[in-house]
Amino acid sequence: MYYSNAILTLVVTPLLSAPLIYLIGRLFMRTGRAGAASNASQLASLLALAGTWKAYIDIVLQFNRSSATALRYITGSVPLQVDGLSILLAGLALTLGTLVVIYSRMYMRNEDGEEKYYAMLVAMTGAMIGLACAADLFNLWVWFEVMALTSYLLVAFYREQKASLEAGVKYLVQSAAGSSLVLLAIALVFMETGTLDLYRIGASAVGTPLMLAAGALFVAGFGVKAALVPFHTWLPDAHAQAPSGISAMLSGVVIEAGLVALLRAISALMAVTLSWGVLLMIFGALNMLVGNLIALKQTQVKRLLAFSSLSHVGYMVMGLGIALHAGTAAGATGGVFHLINHGLMKGLAFLAVGALLYALHIAKGSHNPLTISDLAGAAKRYPLATLALSIAVLGLGGLPPLAGFMSKWQILVAGVQANNRLIFYLVIFAALNSVLSLGYYAPIVNAVYRQKPSAAVLNGSSLPLSMQVPMVLLLLAVVVLGLWPGLVQWLTDPAGNAIMATFGGY
Amino acid sequence: MTQWLVLSVIFVPWLGALLLALSSDRAPRLQHLVASAFAVVTGLLSLCLLPLVTERTVVSVAAGSVFGNFTFVPDGLSVFLTVIAAVIGCLAVIFSIDYMHGEAQLGRYYSLVLLFIGSMTGMVLTSSMLLLFFFWEMMAFCSYALISFYNDDPKAVAGGMKALIMTQTGGVGLLAGALIAYSFLGTYDIQTFLAYAHRLPEFALSIMAFGFLIGAAAKSAQVPFHTWLPGAMEAPTPISALIHAATMVNAGVYLLARFYPAFAAVPGWTTAVVVVGVLSAFLGAVMAITASDLKRTLAYSTISQLGYMVYAVGVGAVYASQFHLMSHAVFKALLFLGAGAVIHAVGTRDMRQMGGLGQKMPFVRNVFIIGTLALAGLPFVNGFWSKELVLEEGLAHGPLWAYILMVLGAGLTAAYSLRMVYMVFYGTAKKEHHVHDAPAAMRTALAPLALGTLVTWLLAGWLSELLTGSLPYHLSHLHAPGTVELIVDVLTAPATLVAIVVIAAGLLAWWYRDLFASLSKAAALPAAMAGADFGFEWLNRVIVGSTLLAGSVLRLTQTGHLSWNALGIAGGAIAVLGLLVWGS
Amino acid sequence: MFNEMNVLMLGILGLFAVGLYALLAVRNLIKIVVALQILVKGAIMAFILAGKINGHMQTAQSVALTVIVADTMVAVIGLALAVQVKRRLGTLDVNELTSLRG
Repeated sequence: MYYSNAILTLVVTPLLSAPLIYLIGRLFMRTGRAGAASNASQLASLLALAGTWKAYIDIVLQFNRSSATALRYITGSVPLQVDGLSILLAGLALTLGTLVVIYSRMYMRNEDGEEKYYAMLVAMTGAMIGLACAADLFNLWVWFEVMALTSYLLVAFYREQKASLEAGVKYLVQSAAGSSLVLLAIALVFMETGTLDLYRIGASAVGTPLMLAAGALFVAGFGVKAALVPFHTWLPDAHAQAPSGISAMLSGVVIEAGLVALLRAISALMAVTLSWGVLLMIFGALNMLVGNLIALKQTQVKRLLAFSSLSHVGYMVMGLGIALHAGTAAGATGGVFHLINHGLMKGLAFLAVGALLYALHIAKGSHNPLTISDLAGAAKRYPLATLALSIAVLGLGGLPPLAGFMSKWQILVAGVQANNRLIFYLVIFAALNSVLSLGYYAPIVNAVYRQKPSAAVLNGSSLPLSMQVPMVLLLLAVVVLGLWPGLVQWLTDPAGNAIMATFGGY
Repeated sequence: MTQWLVLSVIFVPWLGALLLALSSDRAPRLQHLVASAFAVVTGLLSLCLLPLVTERTVVSVAAGSVFGNFTFVPDGLSVFLTVIAAVIGCLAVIFSIDYMHGEAQLGRYYSLVLLFIGSMTGMVLTSSMLLLFFFWEMMAFCSYALISFYNDDPKAVAGGMKALIMTQTGGVGLLAGALIAYSFLGTYDIQTFLAYAHRLPEFALSIMAFGFLIGAAAKSAQVPFHTWLPGAMEAPTPISALIHAATMVNAGVYLLARFYPAFAAVPGWTTAVVVVGVLSAFLGAVMAITASDLKRTLAYSTISQLGYMVYAVGVGAVYASQFHLMSHAVFKALLFLGAGAVIHAVGTRDMRQMGGLGQKMPFVRNVFIIGTLALAGLPFVNGFWSKELVLEEGLAHGPLWAYILMVLGAGLTAAYSLRMVYMVFYGTAKKEHHVHDAPAAMRTALAPLALGTLVTWLLAGWLSELLTGSLPYHLSHLHAPGTVELIVDVLTAPATLVAIVVIAAGLLAWWYRDLFASLSKAAALPAAMAGADFGFEWLNRVIVGSTLLAGSVLRLTQTGHLSWNALGIAGGAIAVLGLLVWGS
Repeated sequence: MFNEMNVLMLGILGLFAVGLYALLAVRNLIKIVVALQILVKGAIMAFILAGKINGHMQTAQSVALTVIVADTMVAVIGLALAVQVKRRLGTLDVNELTSLRG
C-alpha cells in the first residue's frame, strides 16, 4: 500500500519540522547578523511545507485514482483516514499556511521570537492536517488540542501588548474549557460503546441519555472553536489582536477545522437524535444574524472582519444542516465550497488589512488598531492592497463575479431543493443577511477610495513584495472561482459525499 | 460568428474595464481615449448583432454542479436592449470626456462604467436565470460604486449605500424565483422555463411571479422601492443618464416583459403589476412637480415614466412597454446629458438658482426642449407615439381607474416638463453665472440623442418585426403594429384625443398658475406629502434605524467579562441538550 | 452504596461542578487555570470509569496519560500568560481584563 507512506509523511512532516525550524532560527540568531534568524526559519518553514505539499499532491492523486470513499491507514494505535473532507481541509490549511509564511517575512520582522512564530505556524498547519485525517475520536481530540495550543501562543504573540494578552487569556480559557467538555463527551461515548473508532461508534450509537449528553457536549466544546453563537465570545478579541497573518489563518481555516472536528464527532452520533439538521440550521441563522448585526457597528477593521467570520460560519453550518435534514449532498457540497471560499476571501481580507496595518502603524512601531477612518484615501498610495481588500469584502458580501456569490448560491439552491417551507424561509433569511452584510462591507470600500487621505495614509510606509505576492494569488483565486465555480468541484464534490457517507450513507 | 459577437459585446467592455482599472491616473487623456474607444467598439459590436437575431441558444458552457449551463440567446428583446445599453453607454462615455475633464480617479470611473455596460449587455443576453441574477447584482454594484464616486461627500456615500441595499433587497425576490425554478425544472434556462412554467405547482409559480415583481420594482425604482433613485442623483451626471435613466433602471421592465408569458395567468399578478405601475407613474409625477433640484426632478420623472412601462406590461402590452422604453431611453438620456451640460456650466443643481440660461446656451436649450416635448408626450416626437400607445392599450385591456390616473399623470408630466424648461432656460437670471455653451464632446453626445428623439418612433415597425420574429412565447402578448399601422392607430384612437386635451390642460395649468393661487392652500398638503416622499422615506429610516439599534443592543452582549463568556458556553450547552432530547 | 463506580461517578460530577462554578465565579486568573485543570481531571476520571465499565481499561489508561501531557501544556501556557498579565497589568483579576468589548 503505497499511499500509507504519503499519509504518514503528510501528517508528520510539519509537526516534526516545527522544532527544527525553531532550532535553526536559534542557531542563526547566534551569528548575530540582523535578519539571519528570521530568514533561516522562514526558509526552513517553506522547505517543510514544500515537503508536505509533495505528500499532499501524492495523496490527492492516489485518492482520485482509487474508487474508495476513504483511504484508511493504521499506524500503531493511531488510525488515519483520508477522505474528500480531509483533502479539502488539508489543502486549504496548506495553501493558507504557505501564503502566510511568505507574507510574514516583513510583517514579523523586528519582532521578538520570530523563530517561535514560524515553528508554531507550521505546527498549527500540521495539526490541522492531522485533524483532517483523524479517524478516531481521541486522535481527533489530540490534533484539536495541538492546534489549540499552537494557536494560543500565536494569538498572544505580542505579549507586551495588553489587548493582545487579554485576547490570549480569554481565548485560552474558553477554548480549554471547550476542549474539556469534548473530552468528557468522548469519555461518555467510550463508556457507552466501548470504542473510540468513529465508524464503529456510528454503527452502535443509539439515543441513550449518556449519548445525548455527549452530543450536546460535543456541540458546545467544538462549537467554541467553530465560533457558533453563543460560544463565540472569544473570537472577535482573538482574531482582532493576533498578528494579521495569524488572523488570516484563524478566520480562514482554524474555525473551519473546528467545524470539521464537530462534524466528524457528531457524524458518529447521527443515529442518536433526529434534530442534528435542525440544530445546525438554528446555529446557522443565529450566527448570521448576530455576526452581521454586531459587525454593522464596528469601527476597527479587524474586529469587523472577525464578526463577519461569525456570519460566514453561519452559512456553512446552514448548508450542512440542510444536508443533514434533507439527506441530500447538495447542501454539504455548498457548505464545504463556502468553507474554501471563505478561507480564501477572509484570508485575503486579513492579509490586505494586515498589509495596510503594517504600512500605516506597525512599520512605525505602533500597535494602534486600524480603524475604517484610517483607511480613508488609501487607494492612491496602496492600490494593490486596497483593491485586494475591496475584492475580498465584496466577495464576502456575496457580490458576483466573486467566489462568495457562487458558494452562497449553492447553499441556497440546496435549501430550496429541500422543498420545505421553513427551510425556504431560512433561505430568504440568509439572502437578506447577505444584503445586510453589505451594510458594513461597502463602507470599507467607500473609505479606501476617498480622495482626501487620512493622516495615517499620508505618513504610511511602502509595502514589501513579500506581502503583495500572496495577496495577488488569493485575489486571482477569488475572482476565478467566481467566474468558474466548477474549478474546485474535484474538491467539493468528494467532500460533500464524504460528509453524507459518514452521516450514515445516504 | 454570432456566439463570438455575443461574448465580445460582454467581454470587450470588461477588458476595457480591466485595462482602465490598471491604468495610471497620471495620463488622463489616454484614459479618456481608451474608454471612448472601448465604448464605441462595444456600441458598434452591438449594432452588428441586429441582423443576427435568433431564438436559438448560441453559447452554452456547462458550469457544473448546481450552476447549470451558462447560456446566451440573442433574441429580439435581448438584442434590442443590448443596442440601447451599448449605444447610449457609448454616448455617455463620450459626454464624460468633457464632463469629467480634470477629475481625479478617472481610471476607477471609466472602468466601472465599462464594467456596467458589459454587465447590462450580459444581463439581457443571457438565458440562464443564474447569470441573469449574476449580472443583475453586478449592475447593482456598478451603480452603487458610481453613485458613491465622490466618496468624500457623505451624501454620495449615503445615496450609494441606499441604492445598493434597496436593489439588493429586491434582488432577493429574483433569487428566490430563480432557485424555485431550478428546484422544480432542474435548469435555469429561461426558454425552458417559459415552455414548462405551467407544470410548476401554483404556489411555487406565484412565489416566483411576486418575487420577480419585487426584484423588478426595486431595480426600476417603482413604489414602494423608489426612494433610492433620487438619492442616486449624487452620481456624476453621465452616470445618472446612463445607469439611472436609460439602461439599468429598465432592467426591471425587461424582467417583467421577459417573464410575462409565464406569470400572466398567476392570480392577482397582473393587477399587482398595474397597481405598482400606476402608483409609480402618478406619485412620481406629483413629486416631480414639487422638486426644485433639476436632477431630482428628472429622477422623479424617470420613476413616473418607468411606471408607464410597468403599467403597459401589467395590461399585457409587452410591445408598447418596450416601445416606450426605447423612446424613454433616448429622450431621458438626452434630458440628463442636457442637464449635465447645464450643471457643468453653472455649478449648481438647484433650479431656483438658474433661469435665463437659454440665451447663453442655445444649443443645450434647443436639444433640451426637444427632450421635454417627448417627455410631455407632445406630437410628433418619439415620446408622443409611445405614450399614446401605452395609454391606448391601457384603455383597451386594463381597468378604467388605472387609465384615468395614468392620463392625469400625463397631464402632470406636461406641467412639470414646462416648469422645468421655464425655470432653467427662461425667466430672469437669479444669479450671475459665467456660463458657456456645451463643448465639442458634449455636443457629439447630445446631437444624436436629439435626432433620435425626433425620429426613433419611425422604428416602430422594425421593433415589432424584431420582437415578433424571435420570441415564440411572447407572440400572443405582443400586439405589435407596423409603423404606418401605429400612426393610423394612434391618430384615430379616441384615447389620443383625451390624452392631448389633458396634456394641454396640464400645460395651461402651469402657465396660468397665478390664477390658481387661491388653490395653493389646498395644494399645500399634497405638496408637503410629496416633499416627504409620501412617507416612504420615513419608512426607510425606521427600518435602517431599527436594524442599527438591534446591532447596538447585541453589542452589549459582548461584555468582555470572562465569566459571562463562560456562562454563554454553559447556557448554550444546556440549550443544545434540550434540542437534542426533543429530537430523540 | 459506596462501591468504586459510585465513588468515581460522584468524583466526576463533583470535579465538573467545582470547575464550572470556578469558571463562572472566580476572578483570579491562576485559580481559573486551576479550574481548567479540575475540569480535565474530571474528564480523565470519566475515562477511567468508562474503562472499568466496558473492560477496555488499557485504552482508558493510555488516553488518560496522553490527556495529562496535553493538559499540562495548556496549564503551562496559561500560567505563562498569567505571569505576563501580572507583569503588564499589575493584577490577576480577570474583571480588569475587559478592555475588548462591544
